[in-house]
Amino acid sequence: MRSVLVLSGKDLRNLFHSPLFYGIAGLCSIVWSGLFFAALYDFAHASNMSSMRGQGEGASLHFVVFARHISLVNLFMIFAVSAMSMRLFSDEKRNQTMALLLTSPVSATQITLGKFVAGLVAAWALVALSFLYPASLRSFTAFDWGPLIASYIGLFLITGCYVTIGMFASSLTENTVLSVVMSLIFNVMLWFVGAFSDTAHNPVLDKVFAQLNVGSHFVNFIKGTISVSSLTFFVSVIALMTFLTQRVVESNRWR
Amino acid sequence: MDMIEVSGLVKSYGPIQAVKDIQFRVKKGEVVGFLGPNGAGKSTTMKIITGSMAPSGGSVRVAGFDVFEEPLEVKRRIGYLPENPPVYGEMTVESYLRFVARLKGISGERVSKQVEKSIEKTDLGSVRKRLIQNLSKGFRQRVGIAQALVSDPEVLILDEPTSGLDPRQVAEVRALIQELKGEHTIILSTHILPEVQTMCERIIIINRGRIVAEDSLAGLSNRMAGSVNVRIRVARPGPALEQALRAVPGVVTVVVADSGYSLQMSGEDQAVEAIAESVVHSKAGLLELRREVVDLEEIFLKLTTSEESQTPGSVP
Repeated sequence: MRSVLVLSGKDLRNLFHSPLFYGIAGLCSIVWSGLFFAALYDFAHASNMSSMRGQGEGASLHFVVFARHISLVNLFMIFAVSAMSMRLFSDEKRNQTMALLLTSPVSATQITLGKFVAGLVAAWALVALSFLYPASLRSFTAFDWGPLIASYIGLFLITGCYVTIGMFASSLTENTVLSVVMSLIFNVMLWFVGAFSDTAHNPVLDKVFAQLNVGSHFVNFIKGTISVSSLTFFVSVIALMTFLTQRVVESNRWR
Repeated sequence: MDMIEVSGLVKSYGPIQAVKDIQFRVKKGEVVGFLGPNGAGKSTTMKIITGSMAPSGGSVRVAGFDVFEEPLEVKRRIGYLPENPPVYGEMTVESYLRFVARLKGISGERVSKQVEKSIEKTDLGSVRKRLIQNLSKGFRQRVGIAQALVSDPEVLILDEPTSGLDPRQVAEVRALIQELKGEHTIILSTHILPEVQTMCERIIIINRGRIVAEDSLAGLSNRMAGSVNVRIRVARPGPALEQALRAVPGVVTVVVADSGYSLQMSGEDQAVEAIAESVVHSKAGLLELRREVVDLEEIFLKLTTSEESQTPGSVP
């Protein structure tokens, strides 16, 4: 455990000392601010209209503003996490510091977990930043925390998937550009696996693909439901990608 | 006690065998030089000893632990400097060394002490707060050595520690390795001959994945057949003396050189004695009898080139 923290501590320190993280965080907040404001404006407009027509409260803050914000954050995380996780292993290989890790008294599992923790903390820092937007509304209006927190649990989990996918892509190559491209392709592929669910024309396969549909699992969280199957799905993706990365790291010894 | 035991080591990269049945032992506190042309299999052998690469066959034991069975125990006892120092450019020298010390499992309170010690040994005090990416090649190499030393390992494995340095830096690194003698068991590889001559107690010459010679520097010079030359200068050279010299057992060739002879011999001390006797006996007036030690470069060339001609491109 200590080795894992030593390794992730080094990566995090280097990330937070580099302009990359702040650049990404800055760009994200510019876009998020603009679009969050636009969503709020739409919401205000819609509630005005419905109250003028005497239709009660009308649109829900959660679905009009928060869900839009969360999908946007999700979209940005695909790119941001790919950009941040590209360096996890590629940099070690390019700088030839992988030799240091491989000759230190740490196992391939510890190396992988160290990288995973570093990537996760960095990605979750961005997600936490995006949480400030909806949370700040609390001082203007009362809303139910429940669905928002459920949505953020989903967001944390799906970013965890992006981190492990990016980490896996990074372990495959020492070329950082290639690693980002691979990570993006894998992340997008993750979203499209579920698209096959209606094309298989086989009740079993249809079900399997439906279960692999990231979108529907994620929507569950946005709706405020934390279901065991969705939790299991995200945790399985994270565990699978971490395991694959561990195999790639271990294979360094055999090449 | 043998600190490192390598036996029957084989490593193949696909169809190419980089290391073929290498076998040697290193005693505790010994400084051993790995010598060989580029691509001889030195780095591969070192990587296997450090546990960062699995062998295709054979076994390696470090301090009694099998590299393959208990890699973590072995890695705890080894400091390794690869060909390119494994440094992070975006870290300062001090924070990098602290990271390596923790990574090597040094406990919290000892980290600072060990880092101080290795900074002092490698004389990095003046650059400790600088980013590694802004340091010169020589300093980076020293940071690499400091990194290998920081956990105070029993075994130090240095892969071409002086490559790419300017002559002054080379001298400094050599002096540093001299200082480390005795405290650590050291294996260092190089293709630069004077390096092993100045630093190592024992030399292992590798060529094409095989050990072609293994001995101390003196032993290696002696052992080579025809590698001992004796030069004689006499007052009155003549054919009679030449005849007499040829008759001495152990003399291989006699070449007439300026005002004397150059004898190539098969290397026994008795032969030298017999030569002296016969020269004195022939009353030629012995002015000088000098034993010429063949330098390592000649041995090295001889070993590596003759091996090459014997096994032309043998791929099993």
